[in-house]
Amino acid sequence: MIMEKIIDIIFSGLSMGAIYALVALGFVLIFKSTGILNFAQGELCMVGAFICYYFATLLNVPYLISILMAIALGAMLGALIDVLIFRRLVGEPIYATIMVTIGLASILVALTGLIWGHDTYSIRSPFIGKTIVAGKMVFAQASLATIVVSIVLFILFIVFFNRSLLGVALKGTAEDSDTAGLMGINVKKMHMLAWTIGALVAGVAGIFLAEQSFVHTGMSHTGIKAMSAAILGGMESLGGAIIGGIIVGVVESFAASYLSGLEMGGFHFGDIKDVAAFAIMILVLMIRPHGIFGKKEVERV
Amino acid sequence: MLKVTNLETTYNDIILALKGISIEVSPEKIVAILGANGAGKTTTINAISGIRKTINLEVEDGTIEFDGEILNDKEPYEIVTRGILQVPEGRRIFAELTIAENLMIGAYSLQNRGHFQTNKEMVFNYFPILSERTRQLAGYLSGGEQQMLAIARALVANPKLIMMDEPSLGLAPMIVQEIFEIIRRINHERDMTILLVEQNAHMALAIAHYGYILENGRVVMEGSSKKLRQDKDIREFYLGLSESGGRKSFREVKHYKRRKRWLS
Repeated sequence: MIMEKIIDIIFSGLSMGAIYALVALGFVLIFKSTGILNFAQGELCMVGAFICYYFATLLNVPYLISILMAIALGAMLGALIDVLIFRRLVGEPIYATIMVTIGLASILVALTGLIWGHDTYSIRSPFIGKTIVAGKMVFAQASLATIVVSIVLFILFIVFFNRSLLGVALKGTAEDSDTAGLMGINVKKMHMLAWTIGALVAGVAGIFLAEQSFVHTGMSHTGIKAMSAAILGGMESLGGAIIGGIIVGVVESFAASYLSGLEMGGFHFGDIKDVAAFAIMILVLMIRPHGIFGKKEVERV
Repeated sequence: MLKVTNLETTYNDIILALKGISIEVSPEKIVAILGANGAGKTTTINAISGIRKTINLEVEDGTIEFDGEILNDKEPYEIVTRGILQVPEGRRIFAELTIAENLMIGAYSLQNRGHFQTNKEMVFNYFPILSERTRQLAGYLSGGEQQMLAIARALVANPKLIMMDEPSLGLAPMIVQEIFEIIRRINHERDMTILLVEQNAHMALAIAHYGYILENGRVVMEGSSKKLRQDKDIREFYLGLSESGGRKSFREVKHYKRRKRWLS
């Protein structure tokens, strides 16, 4: 009985963790290649969910096509944001770019609310409410789909960044954009590519999040948790972001089932699951200030 | 092939780095630019490579011409597609990437990807040590090996002109000798045109066909390397040799400062 409960907790933790990992992935990718800490990552995720909701629920378009539309439009939004705003801000002080991303975040929330309203909606997905029964265990199909698709995406990313010329060039640009330019790489194009991929994964995460809960403008707070996942992983490697995301998701899941609503001598823990993720992040950063996989920059002159 | 005419550049709109220099590189030759720190060697190379925005460099006057085309306003990646690759100062290899990935990026400008494999084999022929470690992170290479990788990274794109910025920087004399021998071979066997920027005048003039001496943003002297090697002032100020040809002994240095002739 206890075993099944733990498997269940880990399962739901993994499906949330996969979402955090996807958002964190985009976060690290944009940060590494353009040097911009994108506080609007969660908002990109929300926009993806709303576009999917618009096609699937409001326009009654087949679900797969809605997802593809949401991903494509989300990626285009990322490219647009780079061309309109951040292309001019590369290399500017980090406090300036951070404030711009925070501003962008609230603009995205306002625009989304303006178009689709500020209420809570649910997405018309074929997975919702459906489960798979394996022995005594019951798994939600939406969560299962999240985990499977995320694993496929992670593998695709690892292959892209280690095998393809474009992926390797993007890694090179992230490390040293001046030298990348000297090798014939169009650095501006690479920055746009980073934004496109970053927004794309955020959009995918948004759709999964919408499937597991609801569509509303407040869902963008996932971005902050994903950011803690990225920092936990070290802000360096994509692998770090993925593992950071999974840790945050699983910890949150355990906290939600064992600690939430607990009462101890008149003190209420309340909804402690949001705190747990950050507590873990603080703990890890106290021991390893550069994150689990981060490293101090060693410069050889 | 490459023709720089009256190039004048400023940093931050204020500091005049190059005060009108003219340089010509003819095909299949090694041309050396020599000079002390701050003479404008690296500025010249960066201006040709089109690195301007990130270092606040601006071309005020003059032209950079390559195969008949003016390159003054081109972006770095556009200049690479014209066939000019730079081996930057201090190597600047991608330390977090493997050697194979470094070479992959080096060949980014290659139009025909089918040539990548043959070019890579050609490069490994010059730098066999790299072929044994393709999967290793470049950051773990020694200084000399990193310099070899930096040259290999440019060579693998099979460019028309390679510009090398101080390949001897921070390397032991024996490694410098090895690297210069490879540079000479690349020029000799592959007819590669090379623009070599150096402080180590002795090594540079040993392999170059032609040389320019830069001081304070001006070309103060130019000529075939044979002529430069025999010039009295070059011998004294750049090669550290006395008039009789032997190594200069500081015990015999007279107590007045000789002026360089080109200053009077």
